[in-house]
Amino acid sequence: MTTVFAPELEKAPGSNGSPGRPFHMLSLRVARLWGACADRAVPWVTGVFAVVPIAVLVAITVVLFHEALPAIRINGIGFLTRSRWDVGSGYGIPIKVHGVEMAPHTSYGAWPLILGTLESSALALVIAVPISVGAAIIVVEKLPPRLSRWAGICLEVLVGIPSVIYGLWGILTLGPFLSKHLAGIADHVPDVPVLRFFRGPTYGAEGLLVSGVVLGIMIIPIIASTSRDLIRQVPSSAKEGARALGMTDFEVVRKVIWPWTRSGIVGASVLGLGRALGETMAVAMTSGAVLGTTAHSIFSHMNTIAATIVSQLDSAFADGTGFEVKVLAELGLVLIVITLLCNFGAKLLLKRFGASAIAPAAMGN
Amino acid sequence: MVERGRSETRMYRAFGSKLAAVSVAGIAVIAAACSSSKSPSTTAASKQATTTTAASAATSLSSLESYLPSTSKVSLTETGSSLMYPMFNIWVPQFTKQWGNYQITTASTGSGTGISSAANGTAQIGASDAYLSTSQTTANPGLMDIPIVISAQMVNYNIPGLSSSTNLKLTGAVVSKIYQGKITNWNDPAITALNPGVTIPSHVIVPLHRSDGSGDTFLFTTLLTDTDPSGWGASIGENTSVTWPNVPGALAENGNGGMVSGCKVTPGCIAYIGISYLSQTQGVLGEAQIQNKSGNFELPTPAAIAAEAASFASSTPASGAISLIYGPASDGYPIINYEYTIVNKQQSSATVAQGIKSFLAWCLDSRYGATSANLSQVGFQPLPPSAISVAVNLLSKIG
Amino acid sequence: MTLVAATPHEKGVNRARTAGDTIMWLVCGLALAALVLPIIWIIGQVIARAIPHFRWSFLTQPTIGNGGGLSQAVLGTLVLMAMVGVIAGVTGVGAGIYLAEYARRRSAILLRGATEVLAGVPSIIVGYVGFTALAIGLKWKFSIWAAAIALTAIVIPYIAKTTELALRGVPGSFREGAEALGMRDILILRRISLRAASSGIITGLIMALAISVGETAPLLYTAFWSVHNPTFGLHNSPVGYLTYPIWTFYNYPVKSATYLATESAFFLVILVGALIIASRLVSRRLSRYMPLGQG
Repeated sequence: MTTVFAPELEKAPGSNGSPGRPFHMLSLRVARLWGACADRAVPWVTGVFAVVPIAVLVAITVVLFHEALPAIRINGIGFLTRSRWDVGSGYGIPIKVHGVEMAPHTSYGAWPLILGTLESSALALVIAVPISVGAAIIVVEKLPPRLSRWAGICLEVLVGIPSVIYGLWGILTLGPFLSKHLAGIADHVPDVPVLRFFRGPTYGAEGLLVSGVVLGIMIIPIIASTSRDLIRQVPSSAKEGARALGMTDFEVVRKVIWPWTRSGIVGASVLGLGRALGETMAVAMTSGAVLGTTAHSIFSHMNTIAATIVSQLDSAFADGTGFEVKVLAELGLVLIVITLLCNFGAKLLLKRFGASAIAPAAMGN
Repeated sequence: MVERGRSETRMYRAFGSKLAAVSVAGIAVIAAACSSSKSPSTTAASKQATTTTAASAATSLSSLESYLPSTSKVSLTETGSSLMYPMFNIWVPQFTKQWGNYQITTASTGSGTGISSAANGTAQIGASDAYLSTSQTTANPGLMDIPIVISAQMVNYNIPGLSSSTNLKLTGAVVSKIYQGKITNWNDPAITALNPGVTIPSHVIVPLHRSDGSGDTFLFTTLLTDTDPSGWGASIGENTSVTWPNVPGALAENGNGGMVSGCKVTPGCIAYIGISYLSQTQGVLGEAQIQNKSGNFELPTPAAIAAEAASFASSTPASGAISLIYGPASDGYPIINYEYTIVNKQQSSATVAQGIKSFLAWCLDSRYGATSANLSQVGFQPLPPSAISVAVNLLSKIG
Repeated sequence: MTLVAATPHEKGVNRARTAGDTIMWLVCGLALAALVLPIIWIIGQVIARAIPHFRWSFLTQPTIGNGGGLSQAVLGTLVLMAMVGVIAGVTGVGAGIYLAEYARRRSAILLRGATEVLAGVPSIIVGYVGFTALAIGLKWKFSIWAAAIALTAIVIPYIAKTTELALRGVPGSFREGAEALGMRDILILRRISLRAASSGIITGLIMALAISVGETAPLLYTAFWSVHNPTFGLHNSPVGYLTYPIWTFYNYPVKSATYLATESAFFLVILVGALIIASRLVSRRLSRYMPLGQG
């Protein structure tokens, strides 16, 4: 280990490694001066880079707010609860409300989109959390290192698969598969409250269920990698002690590992939720993309905020008054607020375990 | 240098003289329309004009200079209507093969995007099935909608147990009720009454609509508004995107391509699809006969489209903006439209302006772009001569 | 296990307890299978759809309308990846170094918080802002630089985070030893800390590139699409890239178009797979600079 940096010490700074070169006083002085400058410059330069994320964040917020402000003023708080999404009659004479121009009888309500976003993400969590935690337990506690390394690669692959490919798989493969195999079951679900949500025609390949499952798979790496790291952090002494007391594996998991990692796993799940809320392409391809309606069953077509922005933004620019674009900016702000609330929730829960518990995989696209 | 200049001139002239036929035809049409007030119809007059002016094409070469293809490198982006996309995909390779200095990217995004991209300058040519609205022209005074071909819209369906070669008869009012969720089954009396002798299986109807801002949606909802003014017209109206009534199972699809693919895999679906996708729907999806204003049920055949187009030829305004839906022709198909290219009058440079003009003039020319071989591939019809003159006039404003 | 002979009742309890074990491992095994299965299913599908129609001309020919090949899109994706690698790499690693080595407590909380918030901003929002601010606001139109900046904004937090974590993973003894020997700060950073953390940093960088090549939403409105090889003008330089054909052509009812979608997916999977393998190789090669158990 020491051999790693021992040779480096023999060189003067800046001489860039040709050990045979003789030392001159001048070059040493230049080198020292350079070193001193660099010592001071590096914190400055890297500090500038460190400010970039803040600058980008501020720029995004400012642009979004600037765009959204007229829409916020017009739509008011009712934007969050209204359901109707009507871009108005684009061929009518534009009207002015409080100085903002828009097409006649426009009405924008985000409720179905907010609900669709939350529903699909909740479904994703229901799928991803048990899979992630179960897999993390077996990977840490049971698998030999070689296999657990493969599991790690699997998580990287899940992070690396582009979201359009998830969407492609969802719409071409998973969707038809689910609708075919669940159609028989869905017809026989009793028509009572709660269960009613799982009843009804499965339609085609698109809908809430497909979006939820695809999202669930996409957020597995976030929850699984964090869970795995948390379970690894459980002191082996605690586990060994428990086993010495005669606990079975199941009891060790329930009485030692679970209490130890619980709030961290909840935090990671909320972080995964944040990712699911903002996912765009996979949902845009698998949701059915209907506007203005809420899902009445798990098979219903629906839409989310992010998917709506991507599918409506370009046609929104065709609104000559420019109002629809501003509404989409407002929608974006709503999404950011929901995502931020999630991330802060996750941070609070993870705080007890230190920031390093959040695996980098948690920060994928 | 001299050599090169000369050969370029020759190139220009060859192309120019051919284009001259188009443009002069257009100018002659205007002249004919003004002078021969006694002629039975402008259509007849313009037909006459087209045939007679080809010979005198050389007379106004100077006014055509601006349509000559540029020799410097021109990079254009076309985006918008998915209905026009197959057409541009035929035109662009032919054009760029002949004029290698042109780079043209085509994209199928939707008419809404076509209009907005031309407005904000991200694309030079926007394609749209819908003309510009008042708010759009107010917001972007430089924007023009230049008619380029005649298109039609099919109403397709996929009913298990009904052969796709059976052309159901539908009226705009019935289709309107389907999209409002008031008719939910294919064997609804309202549909069977229109189709005596056809056994329509019982199946839930799944209405498909476009998720993107779409000229097709505009055409379709215009028909529904015109045929069901108190129902659809009063509550929803026509636009490139509308608030679709909440019908269980209703699906939104992206682009005409999405409509075709979506309808193929959705039993019981009904969809409105541009005629340029005919080769993809034929034999797979059923195609409805739609009732026109005179009460006749028509399929979008070339003859029915041409008949409908002819009935509007004289009323096309200089701006090009006119709805051709539900027209007066007794043997016409009721959902046809001008396909527009949306172009900004002010282009970033003279080269780009010249590039756009020459490309669009090439597209309009019945010897180059608008050959029957090209148009028939996508089911389009050439513009009537009077509309060509409108288009040529608009083209001349690009600078 | 039990030293005292078990009563029949205790035996029953023990059986129930071991049965609990079996069930738990079964459930966990199923969970692991449920994690692995979609990967095989997804990638298997991508390959199964792509192979039957694969031609080498997909790599040599540009897209023509909705047919032809994908050469310009492959090139565009690689060029964008390189641009992001340089811009986001320098910025992100720099930010990570600052956060790990120089930031004071309070500013670190602020900067780290901003980085994490930026990581949580949905990519379509970045696309929206890129379009309204850069393409329209600054009149860049569709531009390769707008695309690279949008992608950079998305991956910077990831790179900064992995860099910071990697640097913090360097044992304090490394630094202390070097300091005791009188090495300058800059040298400690260059020769000790960065070298020891290089495995983590480069792995993170490569994974960030893998994420960036898979992005679609921010590119639709900044890079748009082009059938020509990328150009580097600030203004009006749309780029083709591999995620576009998937989103645009996957349900286009023309065979040549769906082939573009399936082959794009295939190329993307290969590219991402290559990046993941590269990151693994790099991490294995470079982790020798770290003491055991830290690589």
